[in-house]
Amino acid sequence: MRASRKWAIAQTSFRILAKDPAPIIVMIAMPLILAAFLKPAMTAQLRAQGFEGANGAAQVIPGLAVMFAFLSTQVATMLFFREHYWGTWERLRAAGASGSDIMVGKAVPLFIVLFSQVTAVFVAGYALFDFRINGSVVALAVLGAGLVAAVLSYAILCVSVFATLDQAMVVGNLGGMLMAGIGGALAPAATMPGWAQAIAHFTPTYWGLRGVQDVTLAGAGLGDIGVPLASLAFFSVVCAVVAGLRFKPTEVKIGTT
Amino acid sequence: MLAISGLCKSYGALRVLDGVDFTVQPGQILGLVGSNGAGKTTVISIAAGLRTADAGTVLMGPGREATVDVLGHPRRAARLLGLAPQELGVYPMLTVEQNLMTFGQLAGFAAPRARVRAREIAETLGLEKDLAKSASTLSGGQARRLHTGMALMHRPPVLFLDEPTVGADVPARRSILGAVRSLAAEGAAIVYTTHYLSELVDLAADVAILDRGRIAFLDTVAGLLARYARPSVGVVTAGVRPDLPGWSAVARGADVGDVRWEPDPHLLATCSATELVAGALKRLGGDTRLVGIDISPPSIESAFLEITGRALTVDDVHGNEEATDACVA
Repeated sequence: MRASRKWAIAQTSFRILAKDPAPIIVMIAMPLILAAFLKPAMTAQLRAQGFEGANGAAQVIPGLAVMFAFLSTQVATMLFFREHYWGTWERLRAAGASGSDIMVGKAVPLFIVLFSQVTAVFVAGYALFDFRINGSVVALAVLGAGLVAAVLSYAILCVSVFATLDQAMVVGNLGGMLMAGIGGALAPAATMPGWAQAIAHFTPTYWGLRGVQDVTLAGAGLGDIGVPLASLAFFSVVCAVVAGLRFKPTEVKIGTT
Repeated sequence: MLAISGLCKSYGALRVLDGVDFTVQPGQILGLVGSNGAGKTTVISIAAGLRTADAGTVLMGPGREATVDVLGHPRRAARLLGLAPQELGVYPMLTVEQNLMTFGQLAGFAAPRARVRAREIAETLGLEKDLAKSASTLSGGQARRLHTGMALMHRPPVLFLDEPTVGADVPARRSILGAVRSLAAEGAAIVYTTHYLSELVDLAADVAILDRGRIAFLDTVAGLLARYARPSVGVVTAGVRPDLPGWSAVARGADVGDVRWEPDPHLLATCSATELVAGALKRLGGDTRLVGIDISPPSIESAFLEITGRALTVDDVHGNEEATDACVA
């Protein structure tokens, strides 16, 4: 019974996401558009750091993929808050759906959609910008999954903490941008000021990017990405635990801007 | 069956429910009415397991025995209840069929069974031609029917409909009332809130009036009319204001200078409408012109106002025996 509730909510969430694909399409298109402008500068920067023959796509594609994945927290927050706006949140609860049913029913389709988004950026980067993967594709996929889990748990934390869609989206985007910037999504972490490099170690974006570059530039395999993966998992678990403690299905939320 | 006993709920210092008791048997429609803010939605939210109560019990069951404790096991109770909340709650981006199927599947129906049931519900509510339409394209009345239909998908033995006809046009209202009657005929215990009291007559519902946190009246519509309903009597005059003891000038008439007079509640309680009008006419002097008379039969609205407005108390009726003499004075 409980599984059927989760499945019903997941199906409905999938349909809602499919009916309005524009935000996800934008989150795939924007990194590719920006990559066209930033790739030459990044090529020079990577070569200056000692990666001879490096292609700027190795920095630009994962960096922008990670940044826009974190900006996709708004897609996730909207999927939750819209239930309040549409008046369907209470109906789900009256139909017996628990907080965890709703969480799982929304998180699973969001995970699949966000993972597809990140994958699409990597694949398009390979096809359009010569984004090369020197290491294991499986390791890259696992890191992508870890990264999406971090994005999703951060989004769910925002949903749990904030009472209005505006608050959740503003803080979600601001936090996402900060983490992306400090983590090295816009420029390699090694080129940033010392204080920023110190903080970077506490961001999931830094570890996600480091893991991806270990695979794409240094040719790492599944066995070499333990630290980045564990860091992403730690961030996800902390966010999920705080969200779980804070989340109240009975809380009234303002689901419109 | 639904059995609510001693339900209390406060929001801060505001005591919204102060010991609400009622039961609804299978096949019974109970019209739960009350002024805005009387606590109807709070009762329904608690009974549907969406809010906690400060005290009291809510039991429900599929037959004549109420065994499931809603407050203790809200998710177990969810299988037994259907709720159409006051606020419209549909997925605008999904089709009518997808909206209905979602709630069938939430109740544990496999997709094929949910699809069959969605078509049945759509036919009952006159939405069979709209199954493939996006809910965002529905008219207000169609959306209200869909909203109600989503609560009926799993044939709940206990159904809460919170103002289901708000904003519905005449065909939509007719469809919804027809569906409610059918469900009651199939054995559902239905709690129906509305501000359109005539709907309770159409539904042959029993009436529970919620006032100041308690059930102030609980009986059939006929019982309510017999005990509390009063006719509406008005006399409109122009010119010199007449001396009408026991009557009050309550509002202006249609034209400037006209005055509408209505008998005070104790007169209405003790005299017939014709006696009252005849008495008033006898007291009009030559300088007072009669502009109009209107007499409306006793209505359920007047009974409701009688109870919730405290316009009349038992003491008023029994303490004004002399009023009878004033009917035609």
